[in-house]
Amino acid sequence: MSIDFYWRLPTHGCHSTIRRGSYDRGDWSPIGPYNQSPGLGREGRDDGFRYIDHLAEIAKAAEISGFVGGLIPSFPNTDDPWVISPLLARETKTFRFMIAFQPGFLNPVQAARLSASLQRATGGRTVYNIITGGGGPAQLWWGDSFEHDDRYGRTTEFLDVLKGVWKGGDFSYKGRFYQVEDGGLSPLLAKEKIPEIWFSGSSDAALKSAAKHADYYLSWLEPFDALTDKFARVKERTAALGRQQKCAVRLDLVARATEEEAWRDVRIGFENVTDETRARWRGQATDSVGAARQAALRPTEAKRYDELIVGPNLWGGFNLLRGGPALGIVGNYEQCAAKLDELIGRGADAFILAGTPHLEEAYRIGEEVLPLLGRSASALQQAAE
Amino acid sequence: MTIRTYWQLDPAAEHSRSEPADRPRWQPVIRDVRNASINRYDHYAQIARGAAITGFDGLFIPHRDAHDDSQIIAAVVARSTPRLALIPEFPASVGSAVYAAKQAVSFQRLAHVRLGWAIAPDVDAKARARGGDHVPDEELVARTEEFLTVARGVHGRHPFTFKGRFFEVERGGFEEPLNRVAFPKVFLRGNSEEAVALSARQADVHLFDAAPIDALRHAIEALDRQALSAGRSVEFGLLLSIAARESEAEAREVGGPNLTGSYDSVAGRLAELAAIGIRHFVLSASPSFEEVYRIGQFVLPRFRAATAPARAA
Repeated sequence: MSIDFYWRLPTHGCHSTIRRGSYDRGDWSPIGPYNQSPGLGREGRDDGFRYIDHLAEIAKAAEISGFVGGLIPSFPNTDDPWVISPLLARETKTFRFMIAFQPGFLNPVQAARLSASLQRATGGRTVYNIITGGGGPAQLWWGDSFEHDDRYGRTTEFLDVLKGVWKGGDFSYKGRFYQVEDGGLSPLLAKEKIPEIWFSGSSDAALKSAAKHADYYLSWLEPFDALTDKFARVKERTAALGRQQKCAVRLDLVARATEEEAWRDVRIGFENVTDETRARWRGQATDSVGAARQAALRPTEAKRYDELIVGPNLWGGFNLLRGGPALGIVGNYEQCAAKLDELIGRGADAFILAGTPHLEEAYRIGEEVLPLLGRSASALQQAAE
Repeated sequence: MTIRTYWQLDPAAEHSRSEPADRPRWQPVIRDVRNASINRYDHYAQIARGAAITGFDGLFIPHRDAHDDSQIIAAVVARSTPRLALIPEFPASVGSAVYAAKQAVSFQRLAHVRLGWAIAPDVDAKARARGGDHVPDEELVARTEEFLTVARGVHGRHPFTFKGRFFEVERGGFEEPLNRVAFPKVFLRGNSEEAVALSARQADVHLFDAAPIDALRHAIEALDRQALSAGRSVEFGLLLSIAARESEAEAREVGGPNLTGSYDSVAGRLAELAAIGIRHFVLSASPSFEEVYRIGQFVLPRFRAATAPARAA
C-alpha cells in the first residue's frame, strides 16, 4: 500500500514566520505596514484580493509539491471548509479537500447531497475529517447542547444515515438522533464515491465510533510509544469488527538545511511568545481527551525552549507558536525524514503535515523532505504489508 | 430604486447536457478527447458567465433534490464570475442555523459579499421524511422563522444567546473579522397568505410566482401593509419563465412559459411589472445557456430603456 501525505490550509490566517506569533497573513490581526492582508492592504484601498486567494496559492503549492491534498480545519473563528472547497474546485487539479466538520451541524441526508455534488464538481476529491470532540462552552457557541458521549453516538448515526442514503435505494432508519423513511440519493448523485472518512478522537466513545465507520483514524502526534500503542489498539478494535483501519498522524515540522538552523528558529519563536499567549493556552476549557493528553506536556510552564525537547528532534511547544498540537518534529531534512519513516514503521499509513508559513513550507517539505522518505527498512516493510 | 435581473440556473434543466455518462458515443473513427473532468460543472460555469457577460445582476439557483446542490454550484462558479450575485435556494432543514450562518459569512468574506439566501418552500410530510426531516406541518413556519432569527442573530450580535423550539445557542455570535461582512439578503417565495405573512416578518425580498398583474398588485399591497405594521420593508420580486423571439408569431410556437412575445413586447410587459413595484426579476428560459445570451442581448437592453426613469428615481 502507499502512504498519503496531506498538507494543511490555515483557515484562521497564517504567520509569515515561525519566529513570531502574529497572524500577519490574512485579516485576523490589526492591519500593519508589513501585513499581507488580501483585500485590506495598500494604504487602506481594496486590492481586489480576498483571503481565498492566499488559500488558493497554498493549495496549488501543495499540489505542485506532491501532497495529495490538504486538511481544511474548522473552528468558531475560521473560514468554512464547505465554502472553501467548492470555491477552489476549478483552480486545482489533483488537490483533495479534507473537510473538517462536526456532523451534528448538518442534516445527514442533506450532507450526502452536498458531498455527492462536491464529488461531481471535483472528480471525487472530497475527504471527510469528522470531528466530534471539542465540547465545553465552544459547543454551545455552535448551538450544540449534547454531552460528550452522546455526540459520538450522534456521529455514528450520522454516518449510518449518510452511508445508507448513499446506496440510492429506499433507506429507512430509526435512531436516537436521526430518522429517515424511504430516503436515498438520486441515481445521478448515488453513483459518486462516498468520501474517505478520517476520524479523530481519543476517548473510548470515539474509538468505538471510529471502529464502525472510519477509513483512517487520525491522531495528533504523541510520544512515539504512546502513539504506537494507540494505533495498535485502534487497529485491533476494528479488526474485531472484521474491518481494516488505517492510521494517520497530524504533525508540524520545522525542517531546515541544518539542525542548528531549525532549533534557532524554534528558540527565537519560543522567546517571542507573549504572556498573553501562555495565559490563553493555560485557560482553555474543553472536554476533549486528545487536548488533555497534549496539555500534560505543560509547555506553558517552560522557561527555556530546550526544556520542551522530549526526545531527539521532538519538541513539545508548538502550541505556543500557533494553534494546534504541542508535539512536532524539528531537524534537518534527513532527520525529519527519518522521524517520519520511524512513524511509518510504527503503523502510520498517512500524514497531515504542516509548517509555518504554510505557503513556502509546502514547497520546502515537498522538495526537500518527501523525496527522502521511504528508504529505511522499517518504512519499506510497513508499506509492503 | 434599482431593478435587478437574475438568471435562473436550474440544476435539473437539460440535465443530460454536459453529463459525461450521457454523452452519445461517437463512431470510433472520430476521436473524442473529452474525459470525465469535462463535466456538468463546466456547463454551469458557462451559464453563469453567460449571465454575467450579458448584463444580468445575478444567478438564482433553485433547490432540486435529485440534482447538484445549489450551494455547491454557487461556490464552484463564484470565482469565474466576479460580480454576479449568487442566490442558492436551500430548505430550512439543512441543519444548524449557526453553521449555515457561518458558511454564509465565509462566502461573503471570500467571494466579495454577493451571496443571497433563498429558503426553499417546504415539501410535503412524506418527502420531508425521506430527507430526514420530521418537523410536523404546523411547525414549519416557526422553524423557518427560528432558523433565520438564529442565523441573523449570530451574525449580528456577540454574545448571542437564544433558546427556541428548534435551535439553542449560548454566548454565540461571530467575532472579528468574520462579523465585518453583511448578512446575505433573504429571499422567500410563494403566493399563499401564509407565505406572504412570513415574508412580512422575515424576508428582505419576497418572490412571487407568475400571476395576473392585478392579482400581483393586490398581493404586493397586502405584503407592503403587513410589513409596514411589523415595522419592516420588503422588496418585491417575481419568478418568470420567458419565451422571447424576434416576432410574436415565433414566440407563440413555444408553449408553456409565463411570458411569451417579441423582444419588444416582453420588455414592455416586464416594464409594466416594474411599474407596480417589482424590483427583482428572476427570469428563466430553455435551453438555459442559449437563452441567457438571447434574453441578455435582446430583451434586457429594451427593458432597461423602458424603465430608465424608474432607475433614475
